[in-house]
Amino acid sequence: MTGIDLGLALLVLACLASTYRMIVGPTEADRVVAADLLLFGMVGIIALVGVKASSAATFDIVLVASMTAFLGALSLARTLTRGNR
Amino acid sequence: MNGLDVAGQVLVVLGALVFVTAALGVVRFPDAYTRISAVGTAGGAGIVLVVVGALLLQPGVSATIKVAVIVVLQLATSSIGTMAVARSAYLAGTPLRQTRYDDLDTEGAPR
Repeated sequence: MTGIDLGLALLVLACLASTYRMIVGPTEADRVVAADLLLFGMVGIIALVGVKASSAATFDIVLVASMTAFLGALSLARTLTRGNR
Repeated sequence: MNGLDVAGQVLVVLGALVFVTAALGVVRFPDAYTRISAVGTAGGAGIVLVVVGALLLQPGVSATIKVAVIVVLQLATSSIGTMAVARSAYLAGTPLRQTRYDDLDTEGAPR
């Protein structure tokens, strides 16, 4: 299962890079963009950890997590405009 | 380790590489609009590659159906979320790096 470990390491690297962008900024939109990438990266990590643990509920959790990531992106976009459409 | 395993691991690593590329873009690109374009690519292609690779590593009938639903919904929603974030970034007045051509500025455009 070396491919899964390599993929997990790369995904963690991507999540750390987007966390750096979220901390540094400089604008609020940059932080929202970084949060969006962090949400997608976490969905990928959930999928890989579920396969690594050979869990039966992996793809259910990935389905719910990806839809929650979509709702999170929309909520962050609405927050960026202070509730205006 | 059979052929399905190898193909699954290759797809997982490819998807993770798409994510690393997007993270490189988020760190290195000059303004928020170019960064959101990098994130949109990763949200579509990266998640699909990782999830299909995970399916090949853990195959099954119900898992295949769930992965088909995930792929369709993810391809549909990631672009919508990306567009929503970019639109509200523009509405919130985030500065563009190069403002000579701003086609969205319909008020002050000398046309």
